[in-house]
Amino acid sequence: MPEITLEHITHHYGDKEVLKDFSFAFKPGKTSCLLGSSGCGKTTVLRLIAGLESPKDGIVKIDGATVSKNGEITVPPHKRNIGFVFQDLALWPHFTVYDNVAFGLKEKRERNIKKKVSDILDLFGISDKIRKYPHQLSGGQKQMVAIARSLVLQPEILLMDEPLANIDTHLKENILAHLKTVQRQQRFTMLYVTHDHEEAFHTGDHILVMNAGKIEAAGTKEEICNSTSKYVKSFLKLYTDEN
Amino acid sequence: MKYIFVSLILVFPACNPSAEEVTVYTSVDQIFSEPVLKDFERETGIKVKAVYDTEETKSTGVMNRLIAEKDNPQCDVFWSGDPIRNGVLQSKGITEPYQSEQTKQIPEYFKEPDNQWIGFSARARVLIYNKNLIAPDSLPESIFDFTRPRFKGKFAVANPLFGTTTFHMAAIFTALGDEKAKAWMNALKENGVVIAASNGDVKKRVMNGELAFGLTDTDDAFEAKKESDEVDYIFLDQQERGIGTLIMPNAVSLIKNAPHDENGKKLINYLLSRETEAKLAVSCAQMPLIKGTEIPGVPSLDNIKAMKIDYKQTSEKLEGIQPWLKAWIEE
Amino acid sequence: MDRRVSAYIIRFVPLLLLFILLALPLLLLLLQWLTGTDSTVLFSFIDRGTLWLIGRSLWLSFIVALLATCIGTACGFLLYKFNFPFNKFYRLALLLPLLISPYIFAVAWKDGLFWFFGNTAAVYSEAGVVMVHAFVYFPLAMLITGSALSQIHSGYEEAGLMVVSFRKMFVKIIFPLIRPALTTSFVLILIFSLSDFSVPAFFGVRTFTTEIFTQFSALYDLPMAIGQSVLLLLVCLLLMLTEHRYLSDAPFFSVSTKGSISKKYDVEKRQILWHGIFWLLLIVALLIPVSILIIQSLGGKTLFFSQAWELVWPAAVQSIKLATIGALLITALGLWTAYEKERRSHRLPNALLLLTFIVPSTVLGIALIRYYNFPVLNFIYGTAVILLIAYTAKFGFIASRITGNSIKQIPVSLGEAASVMGISSQKIFLKIHLPLMLPSLFTTFVLSFILCLGELGATVMVYPPGMELMPVKTFTISANAPQALTSSMTLINLGVTTVLLLLFFIIGKYVFKKYRYA
Repeated sequence: MPEITLEHITHHYGDKEVLKDFSFAFKPGKTSCLLGSSGCGKTTVLRLIAGLESPKDGIVKIDGATVSKNGEITVPPHKRNIGFVFQDLALWPHFTVYDNVAFGLKEKRERNIKKKVSDILDLFGISDKIRKYPHQLSGGQKQMVAIARSLVLQPEILLMDEPLANIDTHLKENILAHLKTVQRQQRFTMLYVTHDHEEAFHTGDHILVMNAGKIEAAGTKEEICNSTSKYVKSFLKLYTDEN
Repeated sequence: MKYIFVSLILVFPACNPSAEEVTVYTSVDQIFSEPVLKDFERETGIKVKAVYDTEETKSTGVMNRLIAEKDNPQCDVFWSGDPIRNGVLQSKGITEPYQSEQTKQIPEYFKEPDNQWIGFSARARVLIYNKNLIAPDSLPESIFDFTRPRFKGKFAVANPLFGTTTFHMAAIFTALGDEKAKAWMNALKENGVVIAASNGDVKKRVMNGELAFGLTDTDDAFEAKKESDEVDYIFLDQQERGIGTLIMPNAVSLIKNAPHDENGKKLINYLLSRETEAKLAVSCAQMPLIKGTEIPGVPSLDNIKAMKIDYKQTSEKLEGIQPWLKAWIEE
Repeated sequence: MDRRVSAYIIRFVPLLLLFILLALPLLLLLLQWLTGTDSTVLFSFIDRGTLWLIGRSLWLSFIVALLATCIGTACGFLLYKFNFPFNKFYRLALLLPLLISPYIFAVAWKDGLFWFFGNTAAVYSEAGVVMVHAFVYFPLAMLITGSALSQIHSGYEEAGLMVVSFRKMFVKIIFPLIRPALTTSFVLILIFSLSDFSVPAFFGVRTFTTEIFTQFSALYDLPMAIGQSVLLLLVCLLLMLTEHRYLSDAPFFSVSTKGSISKKYDVEKRQILWHGIFWLLLIVALLIPVSILIIQSLGGKTLFFSQAWELVWPAAVQSIKLATIGALLITALGLWTAYEKERRSHRLPNALLLLTFIVPSTVLGIALIRYYNFPVLNFIYGTAVILLIAYTAKFGFIASRITGNSIKQIPVSLGEAASVMGISSQKIFLKIHLPLMLPSLFTTFVLSFILCLGELGATVMVYPPGMELMPVKTFTISANAPQALTSSMTLINLGVTTVLLLLFFIIGKYVFKKYRYA
């Protein structure tokens, strides 16, 4: 159960600065939610942790070890033992559900692979879709496959980039319940990005509110609700009004 | 991957440099040159590797290739349809003189003084006409008649920057002097001459009936007569005091530092034989240069009044007038 | 460590090969030209006349590219976005004009006009060149925009249709989405038209390319010809750069899931009108030239088909083998360069291919001869290898372009998802990107095959003595052969290519059954 530390991270795409001197330590074995409106830099935080990008300035550490530093990736993504669920899910269209989930497994024996795949699909209740292609699945099923695909490798860290946007509350709760079950079994650190504070409060042990590349507030649900930050107040109010 | 290797083996014929072979580059139309080369192959057992090009592409391929390959020649023999190209190669130091019993049979007139090229089987410039469009008795008798108003817009010459037409124009410039020749060409333009892409194009347009007549070579005219009953040809300027028509021999050169020097010489001797001249006479009405080779139906040099020219001098003239010819076309 | 070494090898060995085999010959020729020519003569050709000629040639090719892209896009749009009877037939048949060499097309059209109207003065003009080029090159635009159109996610169009009319949706959504394909085909056709010499020469129209050709083949003025080629090269380069700039801010669409099928519309009304339009195009671009060829080959005093067959057949077999290997090489090279460019921001290979693509054929030929004609390199220059090098130099860029467009369609996240799982980049490439690119690789292969099979300009400069190749033979025999024989050979040439094309389509259909996702 590794701790993830970001130290003085500054990152920009072209001229646009997305993170400004961002520092934070994500607690091991917990679920942290990154909350904020779109474009505030939440996804970038995930991509930096995953090693898909390296910060222009600053250090990323996993379990105390430096994995990226000042524009250089010292530990490549696949050595970080991370699961990543993309916003667009990134299911490989030419693979069946089985192949999608099994692709990353390095077991030598076919039997072991089959077992692992069917176990995880069972857990998410989609084992009947095992021979289907992604385009033959419903939205919720695709999301389950995407999550199952990253969990089958038993990562120590799971990064979720708004994977549960656009689905109904019932299904969302269902999937989150599954996820919690697995987290209890596998005990991984989870980072969950969302722009929906209800979802964040429901999922996260810890919540970070981000705005324009900076942390506005961090803490438990209660602490966030009692925050004195103007931005946090207006952000929460905005969403309360909307709902 | 395996298949790629298999097909690679299939594609690349095993090359064996020591084999009995000879490489010839030719700008003579493949349909006439190939049979002769095949016969040589059959009779001598020497494999002929040919690169063909045509006067239609203005021999760009073989000429530029020969020039570019100068430092490591691949070619042994260059067989050209006219001596001009050999002259260009000679000036770039690509050809080599060659003497043999066979070359002695060719009249001096049709050889470069040092035998850098040797002529054989000649073509002549002729007027090709379409019988449906013009009566034989109203045809021009001389190239100077082309400027008459009654022929306005009815005739063609090929682009004078290329092929035998360049040579023809250079000969006319040599014979008449620059001033007169330029005046004549400008008068052609005023009389609506059609500038065709090539001699073959002149032939085709006359055959199709697009134009009444045009200047071309004997081989084209001969071919046209075989294909169509509507065309015929005549020699121009045959009158008592006429300047005569241009005779252009094929020209063969040995390439300097040729890889198969000996076989190259054998091929040259073969080309300069009575038999080859006879074959070319039959296939494309080329007139034999070796005395005493008579082929029925093929005009003989003895019966044609030829333009008196010095081939070397004409080649030199050619380089001088090219810029003017270029401007003449582009006007 | 191992992985890094192999990554280096994958990256630099092909680049080195590409540089040494293709680009260096040209660069050396350029260097020789710069150092070997008297500097006062070096740029003497740049005067008002030359600039005017370049301007004129560009203007002509611009009109050609515009016309061909418009016709091609219209066909691509109708044929790839709508369901109606014989749709697939038109798609194939309208590709065929691409198989006819522009020169043959010009000759056939001129003969046809003469038979119909008795007057051909009209074709011997800029208009004639524009017409012939437009009809020969529009299938290229159809192919490129058609495949772009069929890759648009139906969601984008459907979302548009909810709020605006079809027409507006087309203008505001589809059109911007296929803009990269449009500019690509425009620039490709522009360059093809600009570098073709045969048609303007035949119609007596003076262009910059015929001017270069005259320097080469009438005056044998190599420094001048190379100088002018460099100028042409710079013009083309400038065009490509402009396109690049324009494209870099174009909205590239990435399809979220490739499994989604592009939207197709049904045609109910005015079907007859549509068929009428396609038939008109078919008649003009294909049937007229082909029937003239047929009439000519039957119109001779004797029938030449069997003779023509005997002449062409051995050359055809050799050409097909070579074109197959050439097309495989080109496809592989195009894939590698495109992958380097799109996924690793490594643009050099692509830039090198661009250079060899826009060089006139004769210059390429001369550069290759000068570079490879050494006794030790005889295994290259004396064999078909030199032809493969010429083919890749000529068409590698087109392949890289088509493949590049298809790589852009694959969402980056598909690769990233595998990469965080610890899957090696080789495996990601082989198992994820490659299968997804298969359809476009196939298109690339077929197109390169056709182009290799018909390549004449560079081939005639470098083909090994004694080797028989279909385009060279058809061309060299055609000179002075009876019209009927020439036409028969051209028809056989066309027939062979068509049969192969059909074969490829059938194979393609079979292969892609396995990859039904797209």
